[in-house]
Amino acid sequence: MKMEPMEVFKVESPGEEFGARKYRELIMDILQDLGLIRSIGRLYVYIDISRPVFAVYGLIRTGMPPLTVREMGDLAKTQGGYQVKVNDEEHMADLLKVLWAHYGRERVEQPARDLVVIASDTSPADLVVTDVEAGFRQDLTDALIRIAPEGFRNRKNEMTEGSFFFIAAEDTLTPELIEEMKSKIRSMQNA
Amino acid sequence: MLEPVMFTGGVYKHDLVMELVADLGGYILQKNVTQSEVILLMLVPTEDMPAIKALISELRGELVRAPLAGTEVAVVTPTLAIHHLPHTACDIAEYLRRNGAKTNMIGLARGVGREIAQINEYESGLINEHDAAIFIFGNFAECIRKKEDLYRNISVPVVVTGGPEISKSEMPYAFEYVPSIGRIAHRSKKANELGTLDKIVDSIGRALDRTRAEIAKDPLTTSPPRVMDAVREQIPEIEYSFSPLPIALNLNGVRVKLPYDEYKDAVKAVRFDEGVTVGEIARVMPSKMKDYILVRILPMSETGFVF
Repeated sequence: MKMEPMEVFKVESPGEEFGARKYRELIMDILQDLGLIRSIGRLYVYIDISRPVFAVYGLIRTGMPPLTVREMGDLAKTQGGYQVKVNDEEHMADLLKVLWAHYGRERVEQPARDLVVIASDTSPADLVVTDVEAGFRQDLTDALIRIAPEGFRNRKNEMTEGSFFFIAAEDTLTPELIEEMKSKIRSMQNA
Repeated sequence: MLEPVMFTGGVYKHDLVMELVADLGGYILQKNVTQSEVILLMLVPTEDMPAIKALISELRGELVRAPLAGTEVAVVTPTLAIHHLPHTACDIAEYLRRNGAKTNMIGLARGVGREIAQINEYESGLINEHDAAIFIFGNFAECIRKKEDLYRNISVPVVVTGGPEISKSEMPYAFEYVPSIGRIAHRSKKANELGTLDKIVDSIGRALDRTRAEIAKDPLTTSPPRVMDAVREQIPEIEYSFSPLPIALNLNGVRVKLPYDEYKDAVKAVRFDEGVTVGEIARVMPSKMKDYILVRILPMSETGFVF
């Protein structure tokens, strides 16, 4: 499904209009801080403070393939090996870790900050440096925990390929409560 | 009458300001040196303000009124987690400090939630050692009403902040309620946010004025800055305290940041020019904060004199 970033963003909190408005701001701030806005397509938030319970359902804009060495920068064949000139240093540590594991430490050298030289005849082009999607899921879980009111210590997070459902409450999470929240979210989607 | 003011200027010749304040019978409450700049919190006799102003303009320094100088305010959040810090709590604390207050950030151990929020005896005791407290709550009106339990037993004035508009009559135990802060995830920088911070400062100012008025009905035997000066002169070890403010002032006493067991007798024996000792005019007891010494000056009704 093709979606724009945050094309739908609804926050509902019965009896707490101010709280709902503020939570909208807060969620935007936190998602922006963690750089997640572009990866979320739709977001529905339901907060019932009289219970108290907090539920979020979101659709993820998926389709990020794992990052390979080829995509990290310019890969060139040199005399006696390969050389990678890294453009974005964000995943440098992961790159070195993968190369060390694959070629052994003695065959990987880093003569400059953004340069890695590998003494081997086999090309590292297709080695997977990091799974961006897995990193994104971790960040997303972190964001959800930050967003939920702090006292709501009983939490449950259901993540599927293209969506996530997060619920947090002060009391024990019962299957009935989870089902009720899901139906609330469904009615928000259909509204 | 002493005027609370804050001097900001270069380190060069700032000792002239300190000397003049001492000569005029004022007090230096706090001195912060940050690289080449120095910030002095002082109490200056109102009638001598022109002399101080003249010297400071000659030194190209800045002098502003610091209405909260000489007081200690507790900034209380439900916990010290990322949900409450750094933005709201630090912004409020910073704003209070700029107005001269000494702020202590207190995160409760179990202050979170609507049903499960609690405060224990130690925490309320610690907050009660301050001159006023500010409780920072979130965005839901229902939660803010429920969390009254946290400050019901606090004996100092409590200013409550939160997001939504709530009538003060719904919060009988709060001194005042300041809305439109709540939980935020960005630094306060918009005009309306800064305006709210100003309102908090004003509210704390009113709370302290009420305490001052109560104290004035039965005046303290001596003023806290005087005790501070005497302790500083007669217990030289205080200079070696690692705390940035070795003697913190309250409206009704001081907190001496030295170990209680070792120094309680030394503090009690501090003698004023009039011949009385601190032990005779004040209660010296262990503070709830670390193992510091808390000095509470007795009112005139108990000692029978004022000096």
